[in-house]
Amino acid sequence: MASTMSDADTREAGVAQPVGAAMAAYVAAGIGAFALGLIVILNAFGLITVPALYSPAGGVTGRTAFGVVVWLIAWAILHARWKNSDLDVGRMHRITIALVVAGVVLSLPIFAG
Amino acid sequence: MDIPLFSERSIWTMIHGIGLGGGALLTSFAMLFFLVALRTDAFGEQVNYEARWFTWLAVATVILLWLAVIIGTYVTFPPYRATPPEGLTDLSAYPRALIRSDPSTAWLHSFAMEAKEHVPWIAAIVATPVAFVSVRYGSRILSDRSLRNVATTLTAVCVVLVAIATLLGTFVNKVAPLH
Repeated sequence: MASTMSDADTREAGVAQPVGAAMAAYVAAGIGAFALGLIVILNAFGLITVPALYSPAGGVTGRTAFGVVVWLIAWAILHARWKNSDLDVGRMHRITIALVVAGVVLSLPIFAG
Repeated sequence: MDIPLFSERSIWTMIHGIGLGGGALLTSFAMLFFLVALRTDAFGEQVNYEARWFTWLAVATVILLWLAVIIGTYVTFPPYRATPPEGLTDLSAYPRALIRSDPSTAWLHSFAMEAKEHVPWIAAIVATPVAFVSVRYGSRILSDRSLRNVATTLTAVCVVLVAIATLLGTFVNKVAPLH
């Protein structure tokens, strides 16, 4: 079975693992970063209220926890859908970077402050 | 009078900033070096050997980053943002209030600390898939150009974010250290 073969085994057999699992992980990270930035800015403008999970640390605990939950859910869904697929890596690369950059920008206090 | 060299709060701050944050900066930069300097189109025992070291480095980076953000948010941030009692004039035990009391340092909270609240979490999120791909795909992280390119970009983003967070944290701690 290809899924249980090591990288060296798959190369020798001429079978490369599909890149879908890698793309799922990368794109999900982009979605998680973007979700965190979006939560931060929506919360800053009072459009959503995210409760604190640990009140001594304040609202950052709720915002980051929700971002992490979105990231993990996105990763699980994309992994299940793409793990046996070969996808366009260049396109996924561009999508991931765009999402990460947007997430970082949205989370900065010059926008969210 | 018995004056401790380090208080519990300052020890946690050092663990967070120097041990975990500084460690993550070093290991993520080493990852970037690996991905750029050891890129190859070949495969074989040498690449497998180098990829094993890269995997250890990537996993260490992820562990350091997640510990840094969790300890930073849940252990060192609460004493930083504690509200001083009404009328207190010596704010040295209340870093946020101390920083905001002076207009020349107020930006250290309104920009630096506000950025530090979220940016390191994004760094941890983008570093994790690089470690995952390294574990799952082995030497292909170095020898497969397309997988390597995405890993290199995300690692570079991670290095920049960790460097910014570390620098801002140093500024905050310089002006208002947690004693």
